[in-house]
Amino acid sequence: MSTFALEIWDDQGTLCTFYTVRKYTGIDAINAESETDKFFIRFADSGDFEDEIHLLARLITENIGNKYGATDDFFTRFENKAHALPPKPGSKVEEIKEFGLDFPLRLFCYRISESIVILFNGGIKNGQTAQESDLSMQFYEAQLFASKIEEALKDEMIKVSKDGRQLLNYDDSTEIIL
Amino acid sequence: MRSKVLDRIIKNTPKDVEIFVDLYADLVVRINQLLKENNISKKELAEKMDKKPSEISKWLCGEHNFTLRSLAKLAAELGEPLLEVPKRRPHATFISGYNRSVHTFVVYKKIEPVNNPKVIEWQQANEINTLNNVG
Repeated sequence: MSTFALEIWDDQGTLCTFYTVRKYTGIDAINAESETDKFFIRFADSGDFEDEIHLLARLITENIGNKYGATDDFFTRFENKAHALPPKPGSKVEEIKEFGLDFPLRLFCYRISESIVILFNGGIKNGQTAQESDLSMQFYEAQLFASKIEEALKDEMIKVSKDGRQLLNYDDSTEIIL
Repeated sequence: MRSKVLDRIIKNTPKDVEIFVDLYADLVVRINQLLKENNISKKELAEKMDKKPSEISKWLCGEHNFTLRSLAKLAAELGEPLLEVPKRRPHATFISGYNRSVHTFVVYKKIEPVNNPKVIEWQQANEINTLNNVG
């Protein structure tokens, strides 16, 4: 699997920092856009999913990032090693369909703690499962990203900073390449 | 630090979308908290809402629309309000440009401690003569 960098996507919320991944396409050649930016650009500019993109952006930045943190309430869609946003309504909020069962987009992510979430790419969920949908490629990539991040944390190649809001290399440097 | 793409999207988000998402997130967290605090399982909640098995299934798998009535039922079962509507104090417009409004003031008063408080000691009555009070 190709190399990728972990970089901050949004840390303006008071409770949670969002990272994203940026893929290397060759030696020292890095993609112009992060994976999460690719997702938002693709659907914000398509015209068909503008509302959904606004809903997701608000949920991430204000409600998870600023108000509640990355609590279990928002991470109810398990996609093997990764998660997907938005959360499903479940039995507790079963009535809120618009932003749950019927939501057409999925953004894959990996939650390290309530204060650090890594966002990947995503797509349109138009099949029974993620693997059967148009976003199957992004689903498999999310699994690979999540595995590699999980392994790096386990091997202590990367760690969480003392204040819990940042990812650092084992030597406290911040440029993380996995 | 914030992605420029995200910044653009946030700045273009309509106000009603912001309000909807905030309400949605507040409800998700609130209902989860109340279920946990009251130690109510999903099954118990469905049963308490007095639904038939088929209705319970629908209830549990989300085949209902979001209505004020269903939120009221949930709030009734959970015993706590889920949504609160802001209320204004009475405010009336008077003739000739005068108006009346109700304000609440809080007055703080420093109370000096009493050095020798008068204490009335309790004395037990050994005998009660019920005729004492007869005039």
